[in-house]
Amino acid sequence: MRAFLAELSRELEQVGIRGRLRRRILAESEDHLRSDPEALERFGSPAALANTFAAELGARASRRAAVGAFAALAFAGAVFAVSFLSGAFAGQPAPDTWPVLAQLALPVLIVAPQVSFVAGSLALVRVLRRREPVLPSSELTVICRRTGVALISGLVTMSVLALIAFELSADVAAWWVALTLIGTALATPLLLLAALPTSSAARLHPRVAGSAGDLFDDLGFRTDPWRFAGLLATGLGLLVFLAAARQGDPFEGALNGAAEALACLSGFAVFGRYLGLRH
Amino acid sequence: MRSEVLKGHVDFLILATLRDGPLHGYGVVEKLRGASHGVFDLAEGTVYPALYRLEAAALLSSKWTTAGGRRRRVYQLTKRGRTELERERKEWKAFSLAVKAVVT
Repeated sequence: MRAFLAELSRELEQVGIRGRLRRRILAESEDHLRSDPEALERFGSPAALANTFAAELGARASRRAAVGAFAALAFAGAVFAVSFLSGAFAGQPAPDTWPVLAQLALPVLIVAPQVSFVAGSLALVRVLRRREPVLPSSELTVICRRTGVALISGLVTMSVLALIAFELSADVAAWWVALTLIGTALATPLLLLAALPTSSAARLHPRVAGSAGDLFDDLGFRTDPWRFAGLLATGLGLLVFLAAARQGDPFEGALNGAAEALACLSGFAVFGRYLGLRH
Repeated sequence: MRSEVLKGHVDFLILATLRDGPLHGYGVVEKLRGASHGVFDLAEGTVYPALYRLEAAALLSSKWTTAGGRRRRVYQLTKRGRTELERERKEWKAFSLAVKAVVT
């Protein structure tokens, strides 16, 4: 029994079950084996038992982490949207007159929320699509990566938004600065709280065979990934161009549209495999 | 009974075992075996992960108790677990009556 429990302890550690949970599993197993020493065989091998625990708990933990993160990101998204839309009514100056630090932070403020929205939405889509009690290890990895990237980008967005509000505090209405700073101060701890279950879920490493699928398994149709990325980038670039052209600045719109399309393609290239967008 | 036949019913059987009151893991295994006259001889390696899964789904709750100087983790149905058990019992009853009507 002692050898079994020692090996089980090692195997639980191997699959990422540590701390209180591991102590509880060991204490329950020990109590059971004291009541019925012959049950040792029915427990199975320590490696298989530890793996079953990690597989059963991993799917649920990843699912909860993704849903919790999406809820926190929705709040952060609302803070971003309110701050962005109300900026026009607060006497916000043109970006090329902003202090240097705010100008440097602006591209990050454009890219980070988009990455956060895409990664968070894809994590949610994946957990809604895969509702089985046990998921392949590669699937859990993809869910945790998408959730993690979404949360980190969300935190970056909130930090940069607060920085810009602080840097512009002398040039814009005080209510906008207060609104933005309070909003980011509320959203940041929420995002950090949502990161805790994500980090716990990411620690679990069950060995369950199976492929994670890609973006097209989530979307429900199949095409060449790069062709899809190209079309999406072109569409987004066009949207940005048209929005600027409507405001009477087609040249600026063309530049921003091209930058948006390039950022979209770069994101697909950089995060494509990591986030399970393509094989 | 073949394990693949039992596999889809493990959660339902565990919930049903706890219907009459709290039990520890060993008690769940023993009760399942006893109530089914040895037909449902579920391995401990199946029961414990299932208990944890059901607890994570808020269908069971658990706490440490001390009996006879030994600390034991005792499981009991939550309100949600009792509702789920009733739902599964109804489904099972309808299914078994239909199977019986076809095969007998």
